[in-house]
Amino acid sequence: MTAATMTGRPIRPSHAKRDMALLGVALVVVWAAVTVSIDPLKALELPGGIGLVFYKMFLEEGPDWSYLPKATSGMVESLQMAWIGTAIGALLSLPLGFFGAKNVSSGLASNIMRQILNAIRAFPEIILAIAIMIPLAGLGPVAGALALGLHSVGTLGKLTAEVIEGIDPGPVEAARASGARPIQIQRWGVLPQVLPEIVAFWLYRFEINIRAGAVLGVVGAGGIGFSLQQTLAFHRYPLAGTAIIVVVVATIVVDTASGWVRRRIIEGAGGRSAVESAEAMNSPLRADSAG
Amino acid sequence: MTAGAATARRPTRPRRSPVVPLGIAIFLVISWASLSKDFGIGFDLGKLITNWSNLVTVLVTGSDSPARRGLLIPNFAFLDQTFEPMLETFRMAVIASVLGCGVALPVAFVVSRVTSPNLATLFGGRAVLSVVRAIPDILYALVFVAAVGIGPLPGIAALVLFNVGVVAKLLSETIDGVDVGPIEAARAGGANRTQTVRWAVLPQVLPNYVAYSLYTFELNIRASTVIGIVGAGGIGNLLFAQYQFFNWSNVSLIIIVLFVLVVAIETISIFLRRRLV
Repeated sequence: MTAATMTGRPIRPSHAKRDMALLGVALVVVWAAVTVSIDPLKALELPGGIGLVFYKMFLEEGPDWSYLPKATSGMVESLQMAWIGTAIGALLSLPLGFFGAKNVSSGLASNIMRQILNAIRAFPEIILAIAIMIPLAGLGPVAGALALGLHSVGTLGKLTAEVIEGIDPGPVEAARASGARPIQIQRWGVLPQVLPEIVAFWLYRFEINIRAGAVLGVVGAGGIGFSLQQTLAFHRYPLAGTAIIVVVVATIVVDTASGWVRRRIIEGAGGRSAVESAEAMNSPLRADSAG
Repeated sequence: MTAGAATARRPTRPRRSPVVPLGIAIFLVISWASLSKDFGIGFDLGKLITNWSNLVTVLVTGSDSPARRGLLIPNFAFLDQTFEPMLETFRMAVIASVLGCGVALPVAFVVSRVTSPNLATLFGGRAVLSVVRAIPDILYALVFVAAVGIGPLPGIAALVLFNVGVVAKLLSETIDGVDVGPIEAARAGGANRTQTVRWAVLPQVLPNYVAYSLYTFELNIRASTVIGIVGAGGIGNLLFAQYQFFNWSNVSLIIIVLFVLVVAIETISIFLRRRLV
């Protein structure tokens, strides 16, 4: 008996916890699916309805290119809103991030700062726009840029604080040992370590702000969102098609450029990309597919 | 003497890279153009200061109606009217997360360098995915509302596409970084491609996948404010309706309820994600 246990297969580990969790999730999903107020017949119409709108936007008369200048200027406004919003967020979040990092400021101060940043972050841009920025700046892109900026302070401040908490303490000690004043310690001991990663976060935030800015146009806070909402609400599908093409092309171009700069900043010239391509060549599954 | 002086001398300063000043210059030029009245959004600090009273009016309107006292005075009597839209938001987020993450799982394997069957599907899949990701959630909601009318259905559909974009991208990057050891072992043991993916890759990325799914659920709760504005169901619908009637005290209460829900779900989600990864 003992011998059999010794030589037999090891006992299967228990999955009770995992199974309970899966069961719980499944119950919630079933509850949501049963109680949600959707007519099943209407759900079946969805693919056909989307297909029809797609057809009217791009195929029936093709996208209406006469709308291109208007859509482009709306998109440029969106990009400018995102840029200003990101710049506001970047400039304000950098010092706040230092205050929010435990290893730079004190435990209490960093806790308070983190809570402030969390509170800012919890409000979506759209709420900041309608509740604060539109009354303050009036309808238009300035309100949108300020709303994006305020929300970005929250997200970027948190990321900045986290990056600063992860630094190597060596340079800080070296700066202190050579007699640097507190501000000099931050400038020469901390900032050079964290700046590449933080700038990469700024660029990433810019990409997100372009998308987030689209909704602000719907409530009148500037950008391409207004054109999208108006053309679709009045069923002017060929115009909407043009606007959508402009959004997709501009977003992909900016994402690609920003992604390239981010990789350059983090990895340096010819850094990981060379390694990556080497890995891709040696991928076992790729070898399988080739052979 | 010369040798001694040479070794004691400070090392020569490395030449300054032109990249940093160039980057700062580009930043300043674009910022200036974006702020200016002629090329950009026309930023006017004076206007913000003169409009200060507008903001004060919104915060404390001075109206006697409990729905309109102002943003700083929430109308708690409105609380029971937020429950049903809040539940709808929650349901929409649950359904969209399950569908979106379900679709994203196979998509991620197709667009990862490690597991994609061939280069055509790899690059084709990536191109489709980058278009899906370039379209903001609000635009999906607008198009789907135009297609099938208002309600939670277009909202769920919009969230699903948004989720596929996010999860497929994150997960494919995780798959790119898996340890190749188990893959080689599975292949050496005679596994075909499906079996290799199932037994050598999937177990490595499963914790991340669950973490991304939880993160997506959080995003969906937040996004519901946005997509409700165009009539795609949930708490955003109610929020926007109250805003259009300038019922600031009701708006304020909705914001508070949403804040509590978002923070609660984020706290639970972060706790679960820490345990997983």
